[in-house]
Amino acid sequence: MRRAVATVVAAVLGAGTLGAGTLALVPTPATGVEEPAARAKPAYSETKTVQRVFERADGSRQEFPAYDVTVTADQTTELRGRQRIRIAWSGAQPSGGRASNPYGESGLAQEYPVVIMQCRGVDDPGPGEEQLRPETCWTASVAQRSQITRGNAESTWRRDLDAEEADKVRVSGLDPLPSAQVCPTVDLGDFSTRLTPFEAASGRVFPACQSDQMPPEAAVGAAFPPAELAAFTDLEGNGEVQFEVRSDVENESLGCNNEVACSIVVIPIVGLSCDAPSTPPSTGDQACRRTGRFTPGSGNFAANGVDQAVSPGLWWSASNWKHRFSIPISFGLPPDTCDVLDPRAPTGFYGTELLAQAALQWAPAYCLRKDRFKFQHNQMSDEAGFALMENGGGPAALVSSGHEQTGSDPVGYAPTAVTGFAVAYVVDKPDNAGEVTTLRLTPRLVAKLLTQSYLGSDLGRGHPGIEQNPLSIIQDPEFVELNPGLPQINQEAGATLLSLSNESDVVQQLTEWVVADKDARDFIAGKEDPWGMVVNPNYRDLALPASSIPLLDDYVPETGNTCRQQNPAVYFNQLAAPVTTLRRISEAILDAHPNVQTRCEFEPDTGLFRLGRIPRQSFGARFMLGVVSLGDAARFGLRTAALQAEPGSFVTPDADSLAAAVALMEPQGPTQPFVLDQQDVRRSGKAYPGTMVVYTAARMKNLPKADAATVAQFIRIATTEGQRQGPGNGQLPGGFLPLRSAGPTAPLLAAARQTADAVATQTPPASSTPPEETEGPDTTGGGTPGGAGGPLDLPDVPVAEVPDAAEEPAAGPALDPVEASTEPVAMPATTPISSRVAGMLLPLLFLGGLLGALVVAAGRFFVRPPRAGLGR
Amino acid sequence: MLAVVCLWVFVQLLLLGDLKHERSQDLLYDRFRTEVAAATAPVGPVVPVGAPVALLRIPAIDLEQVVVEGTASGDLRAGPGHQRNTVLPGQDGTSVVMGRAATYGGPFARITELRPGDVIEVVVAQGTREFRVLGVRRTGDPLPQPRATGVARLVLASAEGQGRLAGLTPGEAVYVDAEAEDAFPAPAGRPAAVPAAEQLLAGETAVLPLLATCLAALVLATLTIISARQRWSTVQVWLLASPVVAALAWATTEVLVRLLPNVM
Repeated sequence: MRRAVATVVAAVLGAGTLGAGTLALVPTPATGVEEPAARAKPAYSETKTVQRVFERADGSRQEFPAYDVTVTADQTTELRGRQRIRIAWSGAQPSGGRASNPYGESGLAQEYPVVIMQCRGVDDPGPGEEQLRPETCWTASVAQRSQITRGNAESTWRRDLDAEEADKVRVSGLDPLPSAQVCPTVDLGDFSTRLTPFEAASGRVFPACQSDQMPPEAAVGAAFPPAELAAFTDLEGNGEVQFEVRSDVENESLGCNNEVACSIVVIPIVGLSCDAPSTPPSTGDQACRRTGRFTPGSGNFAANGVDQAVSPGLWWSASNWKHRFSIPISFGLPPDTCDVLDPRAPTGFYGTELLAQAALQWAPAYCLRKDRFKFQHNQMSDEAGFALMENGGGPAALVSSGHEQTGSDPVGYAPTAVTGFAVAYVVDKPDNAGEVTTLRLTPRLVAKLLTQSYLGSDLGRGHPGIEQNPLSIIQDPEFVELNPGLPQINQEAGATLLSLSNESDVVQQLTEWVVADKDARDFIAGKEDPWGMVVNPNYRDLALPASSIPLLDDYVPETGNTCRQQNPAVYFNQLAAPVTTLRRISEAILDAHPNVQTRCEFEPDTGLFRLGRIPRQSFGARFMLGVVSLGDAARFGLRTAALQAEPGSFVTPDADSLAAAVALMEPQGPTQPFVLDQQDVRRSGKAYPGTMVVYTAARMKNLPKADAATVAQFIRIATTEGQRQGPGNGQLPGGFLPLRSAGPTAPLLAAARQTADAVATQTPPASSTPPEETEGPDTTGGGTPGGAGGPLDLPDVPVAEVPDAAEEPAAGPALDPVEASTEPVAMPATTPISSRVAGMLLPLLFLGGLLGALVVAAGRFFVRPPRAGLGR
Repeated sequence: MLAVVCLWVFVQLLLLGDLKHERSQDLLYDRFRTEVAAATAPVGPVVPVGAPVALLRIPAIDLEQVVVEGTASGDLRAGPGHQRNTVLPGQDGTSVVMGRAATYGGPFARITELRPGDVIEVVVAQGTREFRVLGVRRTGDPLPQPRATGVARLVLASAEGQGRLAGLTPGEAVYVDAEAEDAFPAPAGRPAAVPAAEQLLAGETAVLPLLATCLAALVLATLTIISARQRWSTVQVWLLASPVVAALAWATTEVLVRLLPNVM
């Protein structure tokens, strides 16, 4: 069952480009070790010959071996901001002096890498398109663009065989040169300088001579880490990266969007070609002919100096630039398209974030057509969305499980998309050997993470009851046995699984999976695991499954650290630090920036100590786990862990395992949700435990006609047109299993159609489960959580019962109420509300007073106490 | 001692409470009249709790009451209360007004006598509307038909008792539905829910700390009296202590009442 790479990611993104209608979630072959079928037909593939040439003093040429480099990319169209696409190459010159972090400035100290960057414009521009130039390529630092005040040995670009004469002068790159006020270090003495200015989308030119002459997105400590990199080619000449593209939302200066054509430029560095040397060869001539100090495959962790002629720093130099592969990319419509282009009022569907990526692509397919409504997905917890739908705050809710019905109107569930959650990870192998591509988790390991049973660091050692526990999952023998070959160096982020702080069906299903396992149940109940680890006593006998994980720990470490003494805080909660949206978890993993809040440092400006989030993890030592949606995992190219179905069998999310889980789901009756029993999942051994169905839930009675038509339209379009896989508008993105009229998803599709009809006609099917009448109808929005007020706690007020759908302004003025008056509607009965206190108090008080008076009087009369005044 | 406590509460609920209610109504009427005249009376959606929001007249049962904002037990001591997450009476929507049935004047004691067609006159900041009673509704009765657009609905909610002591045992919820054509426009932005303490027949458990404070003050007063008796004559102590004790007892009982169901 071990699978390479996160299969969803590769398969989905890859095949999605094959065109509309093709299966995106390509079933992995049974042998399924590597090379998903999608790789056979990449969206972009090109082969070029790259060669380094020296001109000898006599005018003849010395040619180095030529490399036939093939570059492929798995998706190039309809991209969204921060999406990661897979770029692979073969046949390149093996790299040397591998940097621990290839991104941005820290990737410069390498030899023969492959430079990958995003640029505005394309090669061979059509009308209205911009020609791709080094000036439109994005880098996050000055050192990646410009060479400032270099000596002779470090100005090899002036010997470039292919460069124009104008580029070989001492100071070049920008004409006219920026003034000394702007760039004081450009023109100094005998030193050479080459600027590669950056031209922003607005037309403004940044000279890029020092860090304050760079575009704002390249500022120190910018919001996003650098995306461009100098990647490493292995000894066989192959390499592969996940390249993150940026739209104009993330990078306005670069300015790529659905209208501005952009490219990803891949430059395999084979070294500068040099022109004829002078006699005797000058320092510059010799430097240009250097071939590197590092042997292929070696590392350069200390970031020692490299030979400039074979470094990535001169990617813009003519002989490097001509070796470029430019992969044209196009962006999808921005997320705010509908708000900009469609003035109509949106119809909000409220609920689960699992649908976020699908809604992003679906929305334009609705709002850009006049015959459809303006669809808007408002993300909130399933529970809140359902409550809003029930009390008329929204026409429909998007939920991923059945919810307890509190209103009197029957609610129908229409399966809309099959997706799920995953435990995503970013873990580096030791010694910079690349990313870990397979990770396996058992329910007990997840239980340990959720119950805060790892110590995090020595600060947690003092926690009573669990002093002997491992510091983090990295050092947990169970994890090590399951995932050999991982780093063993502890990190605080390894003690936690970044999860949601609010209620969510995702957490509900995650915990259902956890407690379906006997070992995990025993662990939470207090039993030691075979290696002697015990549950955090604060979480012992935690009631699971639950839709949220409470933060129950209360241990404040005692330490000599002044900062921590001044900011005492519950240490384990700082480690867990759950967030409110799955998207934030995805981005935290994308950036390898754990949400661990244990940074404690002195703030010199204010003279105070403060707590904060720890910095991004350094490349090569990343370790982070988080709960994400499959849609996000596919979009951002996150790797997803294989979850244990039963001992010995681990399942990754892919088309097969999602379909297998769907086949296990049992319908609860017409228009009702399907239920996935985790015990069935365990028995099957093939089904993915995190499979979830997103339902459109709407009332099947008393929904205003306009809303009913809207909801039915949405269900019908989403389950037909919306199930075509692809990156385009209205299509189904990666991470979702399409609903088909044949195969395991057929019952879901049939149920969706049935619900669509029931909602459209506002007639619930006869056999539909009657609404539960146990509780008083509640349309006030669940503002009164029961059981809080003791004996006086009462059900809701009668106003709730008055069916008041017409009160919503969304319903047009001439809708159903008028009809309602002509034809009586069967109304539910008034709910009983009574109070025994109110009923009995007054007579009892009177009786009590009377009895008391009688007793006192009788006492006086019969006993005759020696002293008066007792009765007062 | 028990007898004194029981009887005192009984008397306060029925007699002294009535006094307080009359007094509050007088003040509220003056204030509301001024506000309506000055066009500063509230129209919603959020009104400070306790402020007068409407004048309710039901000629059939000889009722004239100023409605205050809020339906917690404490608010209803002053008069009928308007449930805060509903529109004001007369506005487009369904408005709920709760009133006490037995204690504190029992303004809604006789609403069950209303017959379909009876007139309920409501004065709010926006003007006057006449509601026609649809009927009295008790547990198990079907809800009235859905409200048509542009019609204001008013639900009077209270409690009633059964049997011989019906007037003293208001334990079952009872509603009177009424409708008026041509509603006033309702401002948006009402709260989505009200706290549990403002639901029908609910009490304010939040006053328990206050109650404890009051009781502690009573105990303190008692101890002071005991120690004072050892120094001064009984007459002097009685003269000084009795107003203090009576005031304290009154205040304590007022707090205690807030703990009881709101419409009893």
